[in-house]
Amino acid sequence: MERMIIFCMLFFCSSMVLTAAPPKAMKYKQLAKTIDQLKDVVKDKDVELLHTPENPEDGCLFTAVTCFQDGILKLQPKNSQVNVTFTKTVKILRRTILPDSGEHCESSCQSYERKKPQEFLNSFSKVMQKVIN
Amino acid sequence: MQGGLHTKHRTMAVPGASLVPILLLGLGIRLAAAHSPAGVECILFNEEYMTCTWGSGQTLTANYSLYYWYENRSPVAECKQYLWERGVRTGCRFEQSEIIQFQPFHVRVNASQDGRILEIPSNRMELQNLVKPEAPVNLTIRNMSSNQLQLTWSSPYPKAHCLEHVVKYKSNKDTSWMKQEVKGDIFSFPSVDYEKFYTFYVRSKINNYCGSTQLWSEWSVPVFWGSNTTSKGRSSPEPPGSPRHPHTVLTVSPWLFAGMAEEQLQWFWIHTVLIPIASCLLLLVLVVLLVRMERVWVIIMPRIPNPNKNFDDLFITHNGDFQEWVGVPKDVVESFKPNYSESICHVSELPYEPLQDSIHPPGVPGPQEHGPYKNSYVGA
Repeated sequence: MERMIIFCMLFFCSSMVLTAAPPKAMKYKQLAKTIDQLKDVVKDKDVELLHTPENPEDGCLFTAVTCFQDGILKLQPKNSQVNVTFTKTVKILRRTILPDSGEHCESSCQSYERKKPQEFLNSFSKVMQKVIN
Repeated sequence: MQGGLHTKHRTMAVPGASLVPILLLGLGIRLAAAHSPAGVECILFNEEYMTCTWGSGQTLTANYSLYYWYENRSPVAECKQYLWERGVRTGCRFEQSEIIQFQPFHVRVNASQDGRILEIPSNRMELQNLVKPEAPVNLTIRNMSSNQLQLTWSSPYPKAHCLEHVVKYKSNKDTSWMKQEVKGDIFSFPSVDYEKFYTFYVRSKINNYCGSTQLWSEWSVPVFWGSNTTSKGRSSPEPPGSPRHPHTVLTVSPWLFAGMAEEQLQWFWIHTVLIPIASCLLLLVLVVLLVRMERVWVIIMPRIPNPNKNFDDLFITHNGDFQEWVGVPKDVVESFKPNYSESICHVSELPYEPLQDSIHPPGVPGPQEHGPYKNSYVGA
């Protein structure tokens, strides 16, 4: 009886270790879906243009994603009805997406062209596609 | 009059003169229209090679050459391997080493005919949106329990997480094909009628997570299931005594297997939250149980005996006298003390006297009853 308890404890300890964090691919796929959701609720007219990284190099992915995350803060919802969805999606996209690879990127966020929110989000989707690929 | 005629001629010549360039222009346009391709179309086949074509050999007659470059990346280069049709270049083939995805790709085709050079406008393409995977292979059907079929396949495309599939199926009694979108590699067919003969096809496409493309692969080689009632000799598994099921395939609602992959994501999150919390709680309960059950605790953490306290008596009370502490009775102690006196007894050796009989060699002492040794003792 006693030995069974001890073995059970060891088993559950190891099982906790084994249920590790979800694989990265799942996380990125969910982010890609969230970006698509945001495209439906974001305001596209009379808004500030945002720096949009286009086709960043492999070493510049972290800088590009950080640039997108900063730009998302400046987005606004289309109307008051979609406010809840908008806030929820922005909150998800504010979390850390890529780890800091430490690689030096030649182009900073400000060096990229400024574009409208829909194009901004389309480019963000493209960068996520590159990450998932 | 002559002047009038002249002017007449002149007035007639002017429209005639302006007509010729118009005619030439028209001819040029017609020529151009007849011989210039609509545009360059590029397709990446299974990410192994790419072909960019600008027409077929029937409509083209000029000498074409293709130049390509990647934006901000490589210099302009000419195609290394052209595709020929009827002696005319109709396309270009790029090998895997020349293909870079997620970098804008530009193409320019120069056509030279009869000394004139025509340039087809350059296209800006994103190659990740032009991938056409190969058709799925190894389609296998497994018979699961309770009239359920499971169709599985594998794809020659290297990244399986980038694909989405469509299964097309029909029985021999249906008139039209049923199509079902599938995200994984498995398609479950809920209720199969054993009297019917089914045909299944599968094709794939790159999903939205890896590219924005509408290029489907070719349909796979078909796989069949069931018995063809017209030809009775066909070998097929027929379960004994299975009741006739009504044709329920078409009425099954698609939400059963359409939302499977979508649900998988949510289900996974529940797993990663629920299982750690549940196992933590269980661990806590087990630890509490263990602590409460003294008998179990003693087995894991036995008391190591410390003999320190046992010797307090010896050193403190009895001052190191072992005999006193042990408790030896006094008369036993007294009995070991001697109550008599002994005088010292000297023992000495007498000199050795050899016998008359000299049979015994010297050095060997013979047996003698009266030995020269004398010892005396004084009894107590």
